[in-house]
Amino acid sequence: MWLYEKKTQYPINIKKPDPRMAMNILTQYGGPNGELAASLRYLSQRFSMPTKETKAILNDIGTEELAHLEMIGTMVHQLMDKVPPKELERLHVDTLYAVHGRAVYPSDSNGVPFTAAYIESMEDPIANLNENLAAEQKARATYEYLIRMADDPDVIDPLRFLREREVVHYQRFGEALRIVQEVMGSKKFY
Amino acid sequence: MDEQTTLLEQIMAYDFALYDLQLFLDTHPSDANALRDYKIALDQAENLRRQYQSKFGPLTPRYLPNTTCWQWINDPWPWDPKGGMSNVAL
Ligand SMILES: [Fe+2]
Repeated sequence: MWLYEKKTQYPINIKKPDPRMAMNILTQYGGPNGELAASLRYLSQRFSMPTKETKAILNDIGTEELAHLEMIGTMVHQLMDKVPPKELERLHVDTLYAVHGRAVYPSDSNGVPFTAAYIESMEDPIANLNENLAAEQKARATYEYLIRMADDPDVIDPLRFLREREVVHYQRFGEALRIVQEVMGSKKFY
Repeated sequence: MDEQTTLLEQIMAYDFALYDLQLFLDTHPSDANALRDYKIALDQAENLRRQYQSKFGPLTPRYLPNTTCWQWINDPWPWDPKGGMSNVAL
């Protein structure tokens, strides 16, 4: 089980609201390559992992993704905080406002609600780990798009941190895949 | 029941009591009785956790009994089948 700690994994303190950027970042909350999808994917897949190393890495990355979900939610909240509705309308963020106000809702940047159809969890650990390698690269690419659009260092810093974590996760999943292949004595599978 | 199972079930019971009190205290932050009960359960849970981890290994990754091997990953994980009990070696 889990015990909450009252801190974010990396410091976030955005002084300047930016509703457009909030809307863009929102996809990492509830979009196809977002942190909610990542967390649910790994925490579901861990039940079918065959070795202690792979059970641990799925459990622990799945847990870290929950901390990333909190970071993204914090960023969206701070970027939207107290922005007047008229200003949201001027910036074309008013359709999200019409549905959810300035709340943090798990959707992508277009307002499409989160769906578990974004993820897979199969009994086959090789299939799962290959999905995860792709998922981490898609998340990394998304963070790169977001970093290119951002101009506030308060926003860029945590996004860079999150991008680097995707690279680390990719590395660990690669090692997990090798461990599973060795255990299954099936190096012919890729 | 073996010692590990007994200890773990005691920790689970105290941790659940703590969680339930936590929720109550969230909406009753100055309730003296709840605060006293929380303190009693917290001391018990910490003591049992110390005993458990020194004998049977980490309950969280923030416990490092030795620097020769990363015991955190050791089986069984709570979802491993073993007749319904969690996190107890066969
Ligand atoms: Fe990740």
